[in-house]
Amino acid sequence: MDQSKEYELTLKEYENFFNRRYKSLCLFANEYVNDLDDSEDIVQNVFIKVWEDKVSFKSKDKIESFFYTAVKNKSLDFLRSKYVKNVNTYPLEDLEALQTENYNLPEAVILETSDIIERELKALPSKAAKAIRLSIENYKNKEIAEEMNISIHTVKSYKKESYQKLRKTLSFLRIV
Amino acid sequence: MDNLDKIKPLAEKIAASLIKDETPIDLEEFDTLTEDDKKRILFGVTNKNKREERLQLKNKLNKQKAWEKITGNKKQSYFRQKPFNYFTIAASIVILLGITFLLNKNNELQIDTITIAEKNIEIGTDKAILTLEDASEVRLEKGQAYQSNNATSNGEKIIYLPIEQAGHTEIGIKEIAYNIITVPRGGQFKIELSDGTKISLNSETQLKYPVAFNDGKTRQVELVYGEAYFDVSSSTNHKGAKFKVFNQSQEIEVLGTEFNIKAYKDETNIYTTLVEGKVAISTIDKNQILIPNQQSNLNLETNNINITTNINTYKEVSWKDGKYSFRKKTLKDIMKTLSRWYDMEVRFENKEVEDKTYMGSFNRNSPIEDVLLSFKRSNLLNGYHIKDKTLTIN
Repeated sequence: MDQSKEYELTLKEYENFFNRRYKSLCLFANEYVNDLDDSEDIVQNVFIKVWEDKVSFKSKDKIESFFYTAVKNKSLDFLRSKYVKNVNTYPLEDLEALQTENYNLPEAVILETSDIIERELKALPSKAAKAIRLSIENYKNKEIAEEMNISIHTVKSYKKESYQKLRKTLSFLRIV
Repeated sequence: MDNLDKIKPLAEKIAASLIKDETPIDLEEFDTLTEDDKKRILFGVTNKNKREERLQLKNKLNKQKAWEKITGNKKQSYFRQKPFNYFTIAASIVILLGITFLLNKNNELQIDTITIAEKNIEIGTDKAILTLEDASEVRLEKGQAYQSNNATSNGEKIIYLPIEQAGHTEIGIKEIAYNIITVPRGGQFKIELSDGTKISLNSETQLKYPVAFNDGKTRQVELVYGEAYFDVSSSTNHKGAKFKVFNQSQEIEVLGTEFNIKAYKDETNIYTTLVEGKVAISTIDKNQILIPNQQSNLNLETNNINITTNINTYKEVSWKDGKYSFRKKTLKDIMKTLSRWYDMEVRFENKEVEDKTYMGSFNRNSPIEDVLLSFKRSNLLNGYHIKDKTLTIN
């Protein structure tokens, strides 16, 4: 892949990106503004803006970060205007804490990571998916076997199977 | 970790390592996070309750509705036709969206000179006055249907029937009747002519047009004043008949194309912006061909035509899709545009801000107060005052 070139979203890709991230981005905005309707407005405005300004990205990997950053800024923007309107309901200290650079970074990572996991699990047969889900929830092989009423050997083969599928979808693993 | 810079690679690695039943805490990328953040992330991803909480919230969101809102809900043709093209630095949008704030933080957190005495400035709506050939007038507006023997309207748009359906006989249309549609300040309207040409009319605009066209003969309409976006039905569907738009000072000849003309009475220039196809502009002594993404600017005082190339046509014509996009326009120019849509008078008490420039966009259905708040955040103005239909800028 040519790294030097800026990455341009086609309309289809923009739509795909929307379909995949819209809800996560709303939940991210919700971490700041604590109101789903307001969160939706914020995220929609960011999408409109990106479309209108025909933004291009340094690389495909930067798109998510870009959107999360934009949603974060917009959310803070929203809170400040809310602060202006209702001085008493929004303590200034809270706003300052939110403004701290990485305040909600972990939340963005959680949303993205679980989105990837959910997609991976959807691609697996339901029993294998269940086994992996339990494993992610920190169940040991033995506990998974008991919970699902299957042998430890089957649990292990589910894991192996899903790891092989994962190799194909998550490209960076191929380099390893 | 810088900002939210590496979310995707980090998320992919954590996801892979969790699925593989490894310990993400060992990931090299994780080193840059604080212990608290690491714990918070792992807990957030692996905890069942947290997962279900997210799922519940997500189920409350309506993605389809959101997508319709984003794409403008109405006609998506522009969206469909234009591939999502290039450019601009990612940072610029972030600046637009957020950083204006940081700059104005001090201003922002004070409550100052915004006072709204009475809320008399309203958002524009779909409305127009139709003047028929016998000079009688029909008021068209949202929620009111209209029907005549050759046209129908749902209150947002008027559609003229094609000749064969309108009951005209060949003889009957020798003397073609002209109708006039007038969109007042604070209005917008759409019209579809009998040849299938679609025209969006902006506030304070008047268009004169025939109710039907003789096949094969040049189709002619007149933009008396104001701003209109033309999506002209191709000549090939009309036995090669050209389409011409007249105006007080110029004539535009087209074959089949999309373009915008802005010719307001209170402005000294006529702007013609070509989105697609090809048009020829003639003035009393000049001819000029436009190709897509070019804008001609006819100065009515000097009669000179200037051509600007590589225009971002979307910014110029976004009004027809319910948005305003301004790119480095002065506050004075912006207010002129907004005053037509919100049907308001604008007074600058503080002349210094008139020439400040702004870049950004709004939905046309935003209340004027929201628009002004954005200006204020961008430090474009300090405060304002609304009384009756007059907006005073301090």
